[in-house]
Amino acid sequence: MARAVLVGTKKGLFFVRDGAVEGPELPGWSVNHAVRDPRSGTIYAATNHVVFGNTVHRSADDGSTWERAEPIELDGLELGETWHVEPGRADEPERLYLGAVPGVLLRSDDGGRTWRSVRGLTDHPTRERWQPGFGGMCCHSIQLDPDDDARMYVAISAAGTFRTDDGGETWAPMNRNVAADFHPEVYPEVGQCVHKLLLHPARPERLWQQNHCGVYRSDDRGETWDRLDGNGLPSAFGFPIALHPDDPDVAYVVPEDGDRRLTSDGRLGVYRTTDGGASWQLHADGLPERAWSVVLREGMAWDEQGPVLGTQAGSVWSLEQGRWHELARDLPPILSVELA
Amino acid sequence: MAVVRLPAILAREAGGRNAFETAAPTLRAALSELPVADLVFDPRGELRPLVNVFVDGEDARTKLDAPLGAGAEVRVVAAVAGG
Repeated sequence: MARAVLVGTKKGLFFVRDGAVEGPELPGWSVNHAVRDPRSGTIYAATNHVVFGNTVHRSADDGSTWERAEPIELDGLELGETWHVEPGRADEPERLYLGAVPGVLLRSDDGGRTWRSVRGLTDHPTRERWQPGFGGMCCHSIQLDPDDDARMYVAISAAGTFRTDDGGETWAPMNRNVAADFHPEVYPEVGQCVHKLLLHPARPERLWQQNHCGVYRSDDRGETWDRLDGNGLPSAFGFPIALHPDDPDVAYVVPEDGDRRLTSDGRLGVYRTTDGGASWQLHADGLPERAWSVVLREGMAWDEQGPVLGTQAGSVWSLEQGRWHELARDLPPILSVELA
Repeated sequence: MAVVRLPAILAREAGGRNAFETAAPTLRAALSELPVADLVFDPRGELRPLVNVFVDGEDARTKLDAPLGAGAEVRVVAAVAGG
């Protein structure tokens, strides 16, 4: 099957493949994230509607037909926007995870038909110190350790990064050395505004995060973090981060002017590190030199063929042989891209 | 029988059907029978704030428990909101 880009937008889901745009599927729904489950081929979408609420849709036939999850209920909390669907491990074919507002992780054990909250995080003793960001108190990042079936990570804005080593029963904050400049303590136990958290699959003790207050890397499963945005990045602020699938030292970010939420220096500037974040270089050949359209937290993805990004102006760009090429343009504002 | 008519986005969620006949005694019961009831009502069972309901052209948001007459036409309409 040809490489397909799943493009979640404010107005539905599009597919970009073989130079053509297909869609929208799920028209009218705002798709914060869509992903093809590599285990089954089923496509899952975190879908939200200003009138009709928040849910998850799934399609087992490549987007031809869709089923909506059973109503998602949270004991004592009200579900807000759904943000990210993460397929489970290979030996748990029916398990998926869902991150949502208000700072909740949900689990499905029936292929996404029903969801229930992971109580160890919902009832976390620090929850009263968590605060919502502009996107609500969203759980937007879910990362599974490929070497340890009991370990996984989530990141919540603005609560920080949390790790479980016991399959979700208990969660420990993993925010040491991570700044929260908007917080009276600056380095609190929780309350950090993580924008995107990723684990490197080839070196799972290594995590990266683009935070409201800097770019960080941890080489000890989140126990401590090093700040990386001092050498070559025009701004510490940004939303997405993308990792080379094989080389744990290579990452891309798209800095923004944090005060105005515009592209840094008025350009669509993608910055690359090849040395684990010690230095960063502009890597934007082919991208517009004057642009104010930003890339959101789910707006970058990377597979063996290279990275792809989607902008709020509705363009999809792919890096091919060192140069960015526009695969699609004039889509609705892009919320997410995934490769399948 | 009364009939409940759905907007396009709800009809797609209901398997492509945009009209449902009902013998339900009240408007609330008629809406609760729909396969998209979870999109019309919030988890507390209240009509979502931006969902409007009309019975024979009359605003019925606050009359969910009134009897639903045979032959009534119910329209579910998304409020003018968003962008």
